[in-house]
Amino acid sequence: MPSLIRNGGLLLSLALLAGCASQQSQQVLTEAELGFQQVKEDPDVLRSAPKDVIRAGESLARAERLSSYWGSAEDVEHYAYLSQRYSQIARQHAELNLNQERLAKLELERERLQLALREAKLLSAQQQGQWLEEQMVSLAASETDRGLVMTLGDVLFDAGRTELKPSANRTILKLVQFLQINPRRAIRIEGYTDNSGVAAENLELSRARAQAVADMLADLGIDPDRMEVKGYGEAHPLAENASSKGRAQNRRVEILISDEQGKLGDYR
Amino acid sequence: MNRRLTLGLTALVLAGCANDPAPHEQMRLTAQAVEQARAVGADPQIEEMRMAEQKLARAEKNMGEEDYKRARVFAEQAELDARLAEAKVVNLKSQKQLDALNARITRLRKQLGELP
Repeated sequence: MPSLIRNGGLLLSLALLAGCASQQSQQVLTEAELGFQQVKEDPDVLRSAPKDVIRAGESLARAERLSSYWGSAEDVEHYAYLSQRYSQIARQHAELNLNQERLAKLELERERLQLALREAKLLSAQQQGQWLEEQMVSLAASETDRGLVMTLGDVLFDAGRTELKPSANRTILKLVQFLQINPRRAIRIEGYTDNSGVAAENLELSRARAQAVADMLADLGIDPDRMEVKGYGEAHPLAENASSKGRAQNRRVEILISDEQGKLGDYR
Repeated sequence: MNRRLTLGLTALVLAGCANDPAPHEQMRLTAQAVEQARAVGADPQIEEMRMAEQKLARAEKNMGEEDYKRARVFAEQAELDARLAEAKVVNLKSQKQLDALNARITRLRKQLGELP
């Protein structure tokens, strides 16, 4: 009799354990079923990752089959887990596919806009009547001890602003043309300010202006990999900061042009 | 009779263990999946990558102990954890590319709109 009670107790606790385990595995199974339901009805997922969807279904079927056997809770959880993962992987692949399609479309749009912008800028420069004349003059760059340097003066930016003014168009276009004729050359775009105001802010302003020039060049089709951007702030003034004329000279963007192999000098 | 049943059950359970072959192929696949995820830039900051690495380590430990059933379970899960981590990283990169391209297009539109 006592042994019967003991055995009864053992059986009960075994049943309880099994009950707990199967409750948990039932939950995992339900989640996997839900996950599979969602991917198998999504045409994008089916198109992008059919194999993963099939495997999600196979693993799920296995988990469901095992769930009718006593003591297989661990296996049920395992296959439900695998099924869940396959569904998630399939969903990620579908998203990636959609992103790549979007990228291809946007890339075309970007090229179209880039062409339109280049033509518009060319036209506006011609309307200013100076384009031909500018064409005759070679790139207004000067040979310095650092190499070929082209300077964009402060008049191309409004005070404290980082956007290039339309008057910068001609200079920028000339630079684009130069870089297209010399496809191996790279440039470093360097921003400088005068010494009025906070040094840290000047450093940031100089960098942002150099970046604006780089962005504009990129928009006109120059590969961003050919451009470096650097802000020097108040450092390396061209003239004394004492006079307003000197300060105007110091507010500038310099474009350092590499040698023919694309090699740029060290930072100054 | 009870004892005989227990013996039989024990034998069955033992047989079950002994019958699991060593999952060498699965271990190779898993190691490869983890390596590939790492190569595209998945690191343990991504939850699935952390899980993959932990489970692969567990599977390797179980292989050493000749507990092949557990080794296979951990290795199979780790393989899919790693594949999910890889897919997430690649996806994140494409999302960033999209954002950058969208920003460029916005900038181009703005410039075109500002021209005289």
